[in-house]
Amino acid sequence: MTERITKHKILDDLELNTVSFTWNNHVLYGNEGESLTAALLANNIRKIREHEKDGQPRGMYCNIGHCSECRVTVNGKRNQRACLTPLVKDMVIEQQFEVPYVVKEGSPYV
Amino acid sequence: MFDTIIIGAGPAGLSAAKVLQDNQKVLVIDEYYHAGGRLLGQLYEEKKGKWWNGLKIAKELILETENKSEILVSTSVYDVEYDNNYTVHTTAGVFEASHLIIATGAREKSTPLPGWDLPGVMTVGAAQILTNFNRVKPGNKGVIVGINPLSMVIAMELGYADIGVAKICMPPRNIINTKSPKDAFETLLSLGSSAPSKFISAGVAVADKAKPLQQTALKLFPASGVKALGLPISIKEQVVTINGKNKVESVTVQKTDTGGNPIPNTKYDIDCDFVCISDGLAPLSEIGSLLNLKHVYTESLGGYVPLHSKNMQTELPNLYVAGNVTGIENAKIAMLQGRAAAFNILGYKGRLSDTLRHIDDERKNAKVKFHTDLIAGRAMLEDMWQLQK
Repeated sequence: MTERITKHKILDDLELNTVSFTWNNHVLYGNEGESLTAALLANNIRKIREHEKDGQPRGMYCNIGHCSECRVTVNGKRNQRACLTPLVKDMVIEQQFEVPYVVKEGSPYV
Repeated sequence: MFDTIIIGAGPAGLSAAKVLQDNQKVLVIDEYYHAGGRLLGQLYEEKKGKWWNGLKIAKELILETENKSEILVSTSVYDVEYDNNYTVHTTAGVFEASHLIIATGAREKSTPLPGWDLPGVMTVGAAQILTNFNRVKPGNKGVIVGINPLSMVIAMELGYADIGVAKICMPPRNIINTKSPKDAFETLLSLGSSAPSKFISAGVAVADKAKPLQQTALKLFPASGVKALGLPISIKEQVVTINGKNKVESVTVQKTDTGGNPIPNTKYDIDCDFVCISDGLAPLSEIGSLLNLKHVYTESLGGYVPLHSKNMQTELPNLYVAGNVTGIENAKIAMLQGRAAAFNILGYKGRLSDTLRHIDDERKNAKVKFHTDLIAGRAMLEDMWQLQK
């Protein structure tokens, strides 16, 4: 179980401004303005994508926009980097799944 | 039309804006949703009781620049063109300026190993941002793969937030990763006599006095590691696989000899819920490539850097670089480089040379040294620049 670091030895206390959002149609709560990777992890969600090619589970990797491993669908818009997207109240976030053909070996689309 | 566009709102970019904004119309662009760059996660003790609190420094820099400069966050730059002026194409529109500063920073390198794509595996930098900026624990018990100054500093930061680190050890040896226990040992020695572990401090003393004795010290390094800086460091153990179904559940560790060769029948598992991979930093130089700048591979600077002068100038007119894109160093250097680029743009020669002197001093006194040959690497780059002219 992951948790928030509200009290810290050196840094200031964390002030929370809790808002609701949905993840795959489930209502969850996060800190307004935090990255979606942080909001999901604080809800103990590590798997945020299934790989386009083989459906394998993927999660946040670099957390600063370089690797694109954390891409999710935000308010209907696909391939948004969760780590670069700040949480807004009532955001609708969805996981992306294995795609039926695009990048599979032997496919005419490769 | 702007006088100067700065790509990157980190320590270098914001410091440049702070100098320029009284005389110029300045635009700072950053992909992240909060200005500050990697300052946002930095936290370490410089001297007893004196902390480098990156988040606080970032907030001060933002306060000093947000009213006089235009700061555009959540904006990605995807192309830059030069035709007397610089045209910068971004996800928020096209902007033009007579001067451009590239302050894009660095990226983290990763050693791939089996299981590294499981949820719960992340870079050390990701764990740093989660812990110190997002303030969400990356997990309760982690293993760090890779022994270098960055991974050591961040391991300590995890400790300040009461996040357990079970082991800091080596990556597996493969075609990509050829680092040996000797390399890791040298990293530990380069951390200096400030290391509180008696073993490491003794190693530093040995290294200073008699180089040949280092090999003996390396042989004597305990097989299951030592506690140094309060961290469980093990240079003769490699993480060979990361295991779990749908997420990280454990790592498999293999013991090695001094040369990094596996010792048979010494594999064992450590339970953990997150793994950090760390193979150091490399300059993020894509913007320079878009402008066809000549790049120089310099190991001690972290990889390919755009050819530039010590005054932060590049081959193109009115194009400057600052911060980690010029080579991997600490945030203080990045801030000074940003100022140097800005003074150069404004033609303030006296303040430029003062700043350059300041950079030299800071380089010599830096507590965290990313590479032992950095000063030589910088000198070589300057020689190449002079030849180019």
